[in-house]
Amino acid sequence: MNQVALIQRGLARRYRLEKRFKTYGLTAIVCSVAFLVFLLGTTFLNGYTALLQTYIAVDITILDSDFDGDPSEDLLSKGDYSGIIKRSLREAFPEATKRKEKSELYRLISSGAQYDLREKVVDNPELVGQTATFWLLADDEVDVYMKGRIDPTIPEKKRRLKDRSIAWIEQLRNQGRIKRNFNILFFTNGDSREPEQAGILGAVVGSVFTILVTMLLAFPIGVAAAIYLQEFARKNRFTDLIEVNINNLAAVPSIIFGLLGLAIFLNFFHMPRSIPLVGGMVLALMTLPTIIISSRAALGAVPPSIREAALGVGASPVQTVLHHVLPLAMPGMLTGTIIGLAQALGETAPLLVIGMVAFIVDIPSSPMDPGTALPVQIYLWADSPERAFVERTSAAIMTLLLFLIAINGLIVLLRKKFERRW
Amino acid sequence: MNQTAIEFSKSIERNISDDPLNDPNYKTVGEVTVPNAAMTTKNVDVHYGDKQAIFNVSLDVGRNEVLSMIGPSGCGKSTFIRCLNRMNDTIDSCRIEGDIRLDGEDIYSRNMDVVLLRARVGMVFQKPNPFPKSIYDNVAYGVSLHGLSNNKSELDDIVEDALKRAGLWDEVSDRLNQPGTGLSGGQQQRLCIARAIAISPEIILMDEPCSALDPIATAKIEELIDELSQRYSICIVTHSMQQAARVSQRTAYFHLGKLIEVGATDIIFTNPSHRLTEGYITGRFG
Repeated sequence: MNQVALIQRGLARRYRLEKRFKTYGLTAIVCSVAFLVFLLGTTFLNGYTALLQTYIAVDITILDSDFDGDPSEDLLSKGDYSGIIKRSLREAFPEATKRKEKSELYRLISSGAQYDLREKVVDNPELVGQTATFWLLADDEVDVYMKGRIDPTIPEKKRRLKDRSIAWIEQLRNQGRIKRNFNILFFTNGDSREPEQAGILGAVVGSVFTILVTMLLAFPIGVAAAIYLQEFARKNRFTDLIEVNINNLAAVPSIIFGLLGLAIFLNFFHMPRSIPLVGGMVLALMTLPTIIISSRAALGAVPPSIREAALGVGASPVQTVLHHVLPLAMPGMLTGTIIGLAQALGETAPLLVIGMVAFIVDIPSSPMDPGTALPVQIYLWADSPERAFVERTSAAIMTLLLFLIAINGLIVLLRKKFERRW
Repeated sequence: MNQTAIEFSKSIERNISDDPLNDPNYKTVGEVTVPNAAMTTKNVDVHYGDKQAIFNVSLDVGRNEVLSMIGPSGCGKSTFIRCLNRMNDTIDSCRIEGDIRLDGEDIYSRNMDVVLLRARVGMVFQKPNPFPKSIYDNVAYGVSLHGLSNNKSELDDIVEDALKRAGLWDEVSDRLNQPGTGLSGGQQQRLCIARAIAISPEIILMDEPCSALDPIATAKIEELIDELSQRYSICIVTHSMQQAARVSQRTAYFHLGKLIEVGATDIIFTNPSHRLTEGYITGRFG
C-alpha cells in the first residue's frame, strides 16, 4: 500500500513531463511547417508573375526600301528590323521628337523584338510592302510596371521608368494595344542580360547533364566501395583509417571539393572549363561519402542469417552479396542516393569554382558544352540589379524545387520496385 | 559462460586430479574414431583472436549416423560444427588449426574449394533463415547455383523431392510461389532443411535447429532427422538432452572448449564415465 502511494505521488509529475515534451515536439513541428509555408509562399508570390510576359501591339509597315529595294530571301534576314520597329514607334507616337524622348520611346520594346519580327518576315515574305499589327515583346521595365511592381507615386528620379513612358504605356493600355501572355520564352530560352528574354532552359539542361554525370559516377562507385568495405575488406587499421576518412569527407565544405576539381580536372587534366561533365564529376566526389556511408549502413542492416543461409548452400561470397544482400540493401542505398543527389542538385559553391558561373546564353547540347546549373542561375539572377530578375529568381527556385521533387519521385519509385513485399 | 558451469569447474579443480580444464593434453574419454567415417577431425584448435575457443578436439562423424553435440553454453560446440563446413571463414579473427577431413580430403587445404565443400556439407541454422523469396526459389536456389538440373522440369522434380523429404510438400504444394518467410517457424525450418537436402549433401550440420521452435514443430523436425539419417550423416548441436537422446546414435559432450567424452548415446545418458558429463546429464549445471 505504501509503495502504491509512493508511485502515485510521482505519477502526476511524470505525466506533466510527458505532456511538456509532447508540447515541445508539437511546437517544433508547427515552427518548421510555418517556416516552410513562409518560404514556399514568398517564393511563389514573387515568382508566379514570371509566368506572364507583356507584349505591345505595334502597327508596322515593312517597305521594299528596308531591303535596298530587293526583298529576296537572302536579304530578308539581313534587314534592319531594329530600324523598322523604331520607325513604326515614331509613327505611333509622333509627339516624341527630341533625341532623348525618342530613345525613351524605343526602350518600350525589348531589344529582342527585332529577331522575332525578322523570323516572322522571313517565314512570310508577303508581309513586305504591307502594314500589319505585330505583338512585340515589351521591355522588362514595362513588364514590371504592368505587373504593378513600380509605384508611379515615388519621385521620377528614383525610378528607371520615367513619367513620359508611363503615359505612353497607359495610352497603349487604353487602346488595348498591350497584353500579357504566357511567358513561353522563360522555358525555351537560355540566359540573357535582358530579363524579358532570359530563360531557364539552359540552366535546366545544364543541371540535368550535371546530375546525370553525378549519378552515373557516384552511385556505382559508391555502392561498389560500400560493398567492398562492408562485405569483403578485412577489418584492420588500414580499413579503419579509410572509414574515418570517408566520414570526415562527408563533412568537408563543398567548396573544397570545387577547389579539388579545379586543381585536378581543370589544371592537371586540362579539361574544359564551365562544362557539366566536370561539374558532375566534382559533385560526384562530394556525393560519394554520403552514398558510401548510407550504403554501408544499408548493407549492415541486412541480417547476417541471410548471408549464412546463402553461404551454407554453397554460394560464393560474391554470389551471396549479389543474389541476396544487395537486393535487400538496395532500398536503403537508394535512400542515401536521394539524399546525396538532392544535396548535389542544390550545390552552388563547387560549380562556381570550376567556372559554371559563366554567363552562357547557349543551351548546352551535351555534357561537354559550357553550361550552368539551376542553383548557379538563381545565384546569378539574384545578383542582377534589374527589378524583373526578382520574379525570375523566384521562378527559377520553383523550377529547382520541381526538379528536385521529380528526381526524388523517380528514386522513390525505384526504391518501391526494389522493396521486398515480405 | 554459464556461472554455474564456472563454479562447478572450480569445484572440480579442487577435487579431482584428472583436471581436463587445465590439462593441455587432456584426452577425451571414449572412442573418438569410428570405422569408415564420413568426416574425421584430429587435434582441432580454434582461436578467436587471442581467445582459444576449442582445445585439441578429435572427433569422427560416422556414415549415416546422427551425432549429437551437447554441453553448456559457450562450450564451443557451435564453433566446432561451423568448422566442419568452414562457416568460420567469414569471421576475420577466427584461426583454425588441426586436421579436418571429408572422405580423406583435408577441407582446409589449398586444393579444397569452399563452395564445393559447402555443397557436400550442408547446414541448417539455429534461427530459420529462408531467403526472402518464394518457397520454390528457396529450395531451387542452391540447385541452380550449382547447375544440378538441366531444365525446368528436372528442377521442379528436385524441389518437389526435397520438400517431400523435408515433410513440407503436403503443406506447401499449392503455394510454392508464396514467400518462404510467410510460413510458420517450424515450416520455415523444414524449408531450410529442404533447401539443404535439395543439393544432396553428404553430411548435414544442424546448429540447434529446434531452439526457436515450439514442441510440436520440434517433434516434426526430430522425426525428420530420424528419416534423413537413412541417407545422410547428420551432426546436430542441441541444448536439449532429451533431443540428443531421442535422435542420435552417438553423443559428444563438450565443456569449455574441450571434448570431454564421446560415446554411444544410451551409454552417455545412462552411464557416463566422466564426472563433468555426469554433472551435466544429471542437471547440476547447464
